[in-house]
Amino acid sequence: MKKWILSGFCMLFLIFLSACSNNEPSSSDSTNEKDSEKTEKSEISITFRTGGGTNQGLINWLNDTVIPKFNEEHPDVTVNLVPLEVSEGDYFAKVSLLLQSEDSAPDIVTEDTFMVNSDASAGYLEPLDDRIEAWEGWGEITDTVKKGVTAEDGSIYGVPYNTDTRGLWYNKELLKEAGITIPWEPANWEDVLNAAIAVKETFGDEVVPLWMNSGKATGEATSMQTFEMLLYGTDDPLYDFDEEKWIVKSDGLLSAFQFIDNVYESELGPNLSQVLNGQGSSIAYQELMPNNKLAIGLDGMWQTGNWHENGPAPWPEFEETLGYAAMPTENGQEPGSTSMSGGWALSIPAKSDNKDMAWAFIKMASTPEMNLDLQLNDRNITPFQSASEDSAYQELPFFEEATSFVETTNFRPAVDKYPNVSTVIQTLVEQVVTDAITPEQAVEQYQKQVTDIVGADKTIER
Amino acid sequence: MNRYTLEKTVPYIVLSMIGALFLLPLLWVIFASFDANAKQALSMPSLFTLRNFSAILSDPTNIRAFIIGLFLSLGQATLVVIVGVLAAYPLSRYALKYKKPFMFTILFMTSLPITAVMVPVYQLFMFLNLQDSLVATMLFLTASGLPYGIWMLKNFMDAVPLELEESAWVDGASIWTCLRKVVAPLMIPGICTVAIFTFSMSWGNFFVPYILIQSPDKFPASVTIYQFFGTYGMVEYGKLAAFSVIYTMPAVILYLFSQKFMSKGFSFGGATKG
Amino acid sequence: MNSSSRTLTIRSIFFLLPSWFLLLIFFIGPILLTFYFSFTNLALTGAQAQQMQFVGFDNFVTMFQDANFRISVVKTILFLLLSAIIGQQLLGFLLAFLMKEKNTTFRRIIGIIVIAGWVTPEIVVAFCWVAFLNDNGTLNAIIHALGMDGVTWLYTFPLISVCIANIWHGTAFSMLVFQASLDDVPKSIEEAAKMDGASKLQILFRLIVPIVKGSIVTNMILVTLQTLGVFTLIYAMTGGGPGTATQTLPIFMYNQAFVNYQLGYGTAISLVLLLIGVVASLFYIRSMKVQV
Repeated sequence: MKKWILSGFCMLFLIFLSACSNNEPSSSDSTNEKDSEKTEKSEISITFRTGGGTNQGLINWLNDTVIPKFNEEHPDVTVNLVPLEVSEGDYFAKVSLLLQSEDSAPDIVTEDTFMVNSDASAGYLEPLDDRIEAWEGWGEITDTVKKGVTAEDGSIYGVPYNTDTRGLWYNKELLKEAGITIPWEPANWEDVLNAAIAVKETFGDEVVPLWMNSGKATGEATSMQTFEMLLYGTDDPLYDFDEEKWIVKSDGLLSAFQFIDNVYESELGPNLSQVLNGQGSSIAYQELMPNNKLAIGLDGMWQTGNWHENGPAPWPEFEETLGYAAMPTENGQEPGSTSMSGGWALSIPAKSDNKDMAWAFIKMASTPEMNLDLQLNDRNITPFQSASEDSAYQELPFFEEATSFVETTNFRPAVDKYPNVSTVIQTLVEQVVTDAITPEQAVEQYQKQVTDIVGADKTIER
Repeated sequence: MNRYTLEKTVPYIVLSMIGALFLLPLLWVIFASFDANAKQALSMPSLFTLRNFSAILSDPTNIRAFIIGLFLSLGQATLVVIVGVLAAYPLSRYALKYKKPFMFTILFMTSLPITAVMVPVYQLFMFLNLQDSLVATMLFLTASGLPYGIWMLKNFMDAVPLELEESAWVDGASIWTCLRKVVAPLMIPGICTVAIFTFSMSWGNFFVPYILIQSPDKFPASVTIYQFFGTYGMVEYGKLAAFSVIYTMPAVILYLFSQKFMSKGFSFGGATKG
Repeated sequence: MNSSSRTLTIRSIFFLLPSWFLLLIFFIGPILLTFYFSFTNLALTGAQAQQMQFVGFDNFVTMFQDANFRISVVKTILFLLLSAIIGQQLLGFLLAFLMKEKNTTFRRIIGIIVIAGWVTPEIVVAFCWVAFLNDNGTLNAIIHALGMDGVTWLYTFPLISVCIANIWHGTAFSMLVFQASLDDVPKSIEEAAKMDGASKLQILFRLIVPIVKGSIVTNMILVTLQTLGVFTLIYAMTGGGPGTATQTLPIFMYNQAFVNYQLGYGTAISLVLLLIGVVASLFYIRSMKVQV
């Protein structure tokens, strides 16, 4: 019995110890400690998403380029990578949870630009205006990309490190064999469906005709790469900026859901067990496509980052094998093709305890040269004007196509409730795909759920 | 075959079939964990190896996750026993005015599903600025295990005869000494039952730390195993199986160890799964 | 009140203090908070993360008009019926009944196998079953061996899949409860009935079931309560999907609060879950007939 009591007291003692260590006062607001190189807190942490090859390019770049260079200037600062191993569907909510307390907030976080406004109005992010004011590097970034990190209050909450476009990856050999003319230039949605049907008729179950992210687990990739790529090819966007209201009923919404439904009804998509998986993107672009098991995939330029020699799934022949076509509008109406652009930024959490060091790191990482190095690894569109003119960058495979999509691209509405609307879209897409509801019911539920979220006064019908 | 032997053998056949069905999913994990090239389907290990285990155990993040899991579960079990015995003493020994409603409240709490309060618990943690604190998480787990602990320990204490204590009082021993030297030793089986039960429930708990702990470096084993599953579910079968086997071990060992007390724990029917 | 009883009271309070303290903060506190936050629009991100407002019964109005909420209620009821009430109870009783008076070694082996499923942590159970039901998993391998086509179980029969996994995980509990209560049936009565020529089934339904009725009711409520709280198993196996096929109330609550960023709405769903739990718990206490 003595042992019990003894171990009990030991335990209690331990608890007290760790309780004390947990409540260490965290030095917030180090803005007025600028003069002290010696007292600088010697750790900063960076949070981003990993798992299944995600962000491999970013990790390589941080480890091989940025951190060594940063440590040349700040030899006594340790940079910790604190990745979150979660699916894309969970990442943004997890980040919001992380940013809520001093104990868990990192010093730098990678934010998808659609979350910047939302997390800024929640008070999770540090406004960077004063710091940017004093930094000449900001002028290097193209203006359209700056919009993505500017919140509704007019302040800037992050420094962009990439932007992107989306289009149709297609396997030339498979399409040719299915009787499609190469280069493939679909003029409307029907052309896309017909190509997929041709592939299905030629190869049967051997090849997945068309891959579109379709589940909740793939999160924003489902909203953006699939639903919005379709919706913005109709005449009805998500949000009416003149009225400042959400469009909760339109023909475009129905068309988009119908197209998705059609793909799965006609069995032109992958197995549900593959596409509703959190690892869906890796399955499509690391397994199926390199093995000639996928004919068409609606996705972004960064997927080429999987296939170069340092990527998670090297595929030397990808340049010859693949083509990259613009996503057509629904009926080929003006401007003929469409795309969506987002992008990611480095932000400083409001509850970071080492903001100055974090800012020093971000500044160092956000130069045209550094960013060029990132894009050579990560294969995305650079937000830096002078980097985009570099020959090494312009010679990247498919860079030309991806950049040409910018002409007809669209941006997600950077308004307060977009993240919630996005999760509604993901849920409804998955329900349509699994045949739980019809496209018509999806449109009804979209109207209901979005109205509940944003309030009836912020909605219009078309 | 006459009716008599049929009646004798049918139950054996039925039971064997149920047993086989129960065994299959489990066998796969065990086999795959020793298999150098584990597949998704059950097969005898083509190449027997311990590499999966060494890969899991040589990774410091996994070791840390196990230690954090131990901290949460051992801490919870210890606290439940200490606080529970303290609470059980007056409930068992004195005629208190509000004993009946209090015991019914305790019994009522034993059966409430903790899942239902996890969202408000998260908000409570936000409000008290406790999110991401392992200690606070452990205290919450303790509170969630207390109703069952108090109920059980009170019943075990009721079974300890009062005469022994009275004779100790006559010798001039204090309440504390009595509790420590007389009552507690006689309750060892009960205390072990509660401790083991609490530990197992907490060791297997994924939802509570998943909601309350945000920093990846503070995750206990249950959460890291989930992440491993989500990230490498398609590829690293052998390692995942080895991870699962290691993670399941403490619960199994404790169960075997506690079998002789378990039946007692059952007849009160106060068992709650988290 | 005389002095000795006062010291007793003070001493009791002192003894009960730590447990009350913990229970008030971490058990009763959250329950009270559930009521509070259910009437707000607190969010995980956006402006309402900083300034929540009271929205009256808005969350509940939304809930009762929400098709997904209705689906979740139906899924929860199905999950309770199939996996708890029918699956675990019947299978547990069957096991306990068949194991009566059997060869001890055989009993022990079967017992250990069934209990292994119960001792295994939920997250591992989920993983075992995902592997078992996977496209190339054990079950499909067996079906292939029989010369038939495999099925994507988790996508074709998701609810059945999670029910079976939950039965596998929970049956041991019912089995142990019924084993304990079947031991209470006096052998002499059974023998006497046998002498009178009663068949096995008659003995079971006319004799044994009435005697163990009390423990059947109690066990039913307990298993229902446990199943009501199942989150991990479903979350790890299917995430509530595909679509809403396995979206029980706990999953729906989690999704609304921590995936769709609507903490207030998520809390309102918790409240519903809590009230169901409270009602079931009251029944449980009634059925226990305990002496306190």
